[in-house]
Amino acid sequence: MSNLALATILLGAALAASMISVELGISVALIELGLGVVIGNVFDVTTPDWLVFLAGFAGIVLTFLAGAEVDVQQLKREWRSSAAIGAVSFSAPFLVATAFAYWGLGWTREAAEICGIALSTTSLAVVYAVLVETGLNRTVIGKRIMAATFVTDLGTVTALSILFVTPNVWFIPFVVVSIALILGLPRIAPAFFRRFGDRVIEPEIKLAFAGLLLLMWLGAKADSHAVLPAFVLGLALSSHYASHRSEQERLRVVAFAFLTPLFFLRGGIGVSLPALWANVGVLSVLFVAKVIPKLVAVYPLARRYCAPHAAFTTLLMSTGLTFGTISSLYGLNAGIIDETQFSLLVAVVVLSAIVPTVIAQRFFQPDAAEEARRDTAELGRPAFEGEEG
Amino acid sequence: MPFTNLLVAVDASEASNRALETALELAQLIGASVMALAVEGPLPAYAATVGEVEEVKREKDEFFGRLAQDVRARAERRGMSIEVEIRPGHAAELIPRVAKERGADLIVLGHRGHFLRDHLLGSTADRVAEHAECPVMIVK
Repeated sequence: MSNLALATILLGAALAASMISVELGISVALIELGLGVVIGNVFDVTTPDWLVFLAGFAGIVLTFLAGAEVDVQQLKREWRSSAAIGAVSFSAPFLVATAFAYWGLGWTREAAEICGIALSTTSLAVVYAVLVETGLNRTVIGKRIMAATFVTDLGTVTALSILFVTPNVWFIPFVVVSIALILGLPRIAPAFFRRFGDRVIEPEIKLAFAGLLLLMWLGAKADSHAVLPAFVLGLALSSHYASHRSEQERLRVVAFAFLTPLFFLRGGIGVSLPALWANVGVLSVLFVAKVIPKLVAVYPLARRYCAPHAAFTTLLMSTGLTFGTISSLYGLNAGIIDETQFSLLVAVVVLSAIVPTVIAQRFFQPDAAEEARRDTAELGRPAFEGEEG
Repeated sequence: MPFTNLLVAVDASEASNRALETALELAQLIGASVMALAVEGPLPAYAATVGEVEEVKREKDEFFGRLAQDVRARAERRGMSIEVEIRPGHAAELIPRVAKERGADLIVLGHRGHFLRDHLLGSTADRVAEHAECPVMIVK
């Protein structure tokens, strides 16, 4: 298939995914992944380099955006409980899934680590949607779950950046430039955006993209991955974006209109349905290897910090989507995992976005009004009066 | 049995606007009170980015804000007042539940909403008629 034909099909699929998403109320990313699976399995698609590159860049942009969406104040308020829940939420499935893939499935050590990382994640967006929809985002328990999700994600990106490093001479420039950007950009952002911002030529988006590409380039040179500095850079700029919502919106528009569809379509294209069909048993066990450690490890802490909604909290912490896909795609692009392993991991990640969410909403959803009353009774005032996010 | 407390479901579709006008006219004729219920459908399920959720939430807030204004304006044009309640949930489940909670003795709604999922899952009106504990008027 020619590049132009593939690009046309992909953008047509991205358009169709947007329309289906609006009509059905299902995330556009999930539909893009699904259409990618159809394209990859129906057409004879050999993923071209430009698509691999753009999908890789989109993954970094998604990571940056995820960091930029963190509410730092909320994180500081809920640090103690969220650190505990988030840490076990990452480490338990990471250790169990890695061990199972290595000893149980006979994957290589690196492939097993990719498996552990991909299945350790918690989806900030899935959790956020559930909390906003129910109004729980304005309660203590909602804030606590969001903060814990951030900690889990931090564990995921840290593992992805550190575990596969083969230190070489480029590692030092990678670290130095990462630190310089993380410390420097938030400081120059206000002056830069005042001087060059609010133009259709979008210098502020170009600044962010140039910084991320620099991290990707140095990360690749250092045999590492730019997800950790990209995530922390987003986090460092989150306060700036919180007070300049229009800049964040424009960045999202560019990302969602062009980059992220290619990321999720590319992810879908890499999924082989015959491979999944031939490994349904492994798929089921991998799903269990993600969810059961989360349930077992998170539930006791959730009982302590999120009572009486421990089951709801635990199930939400078991969701995953974006970082799971990013980790799997990194493994595939780096040649660490093969197509079958990639297909299995993406399928488990998608299942983990759906199954725990449905169970949490259907059987364990707290009454937001009751939670708000509980917060008010405990604190003597509404916990987050007038707060939207 | 005279109706005293009407609940009309609104979603800004043409059918719902006709249902609203019918409910207002009927309430005016028989001296009943009328409240409007707008059901805010779910946010994008299984979202991959917070931005996607935030955007849809903002769009919904704006949409339902305009809808509430429009409903009140239609009532005011008839010299009536109307309470507008916006609640998240699934229309087919929520409309009968709110009708019961609020003691409504007649539910009025249009025969079709404006989202494809309403058609795929079957008519909301049919399911409300099946589950409601009070009479249901479906306006075509």
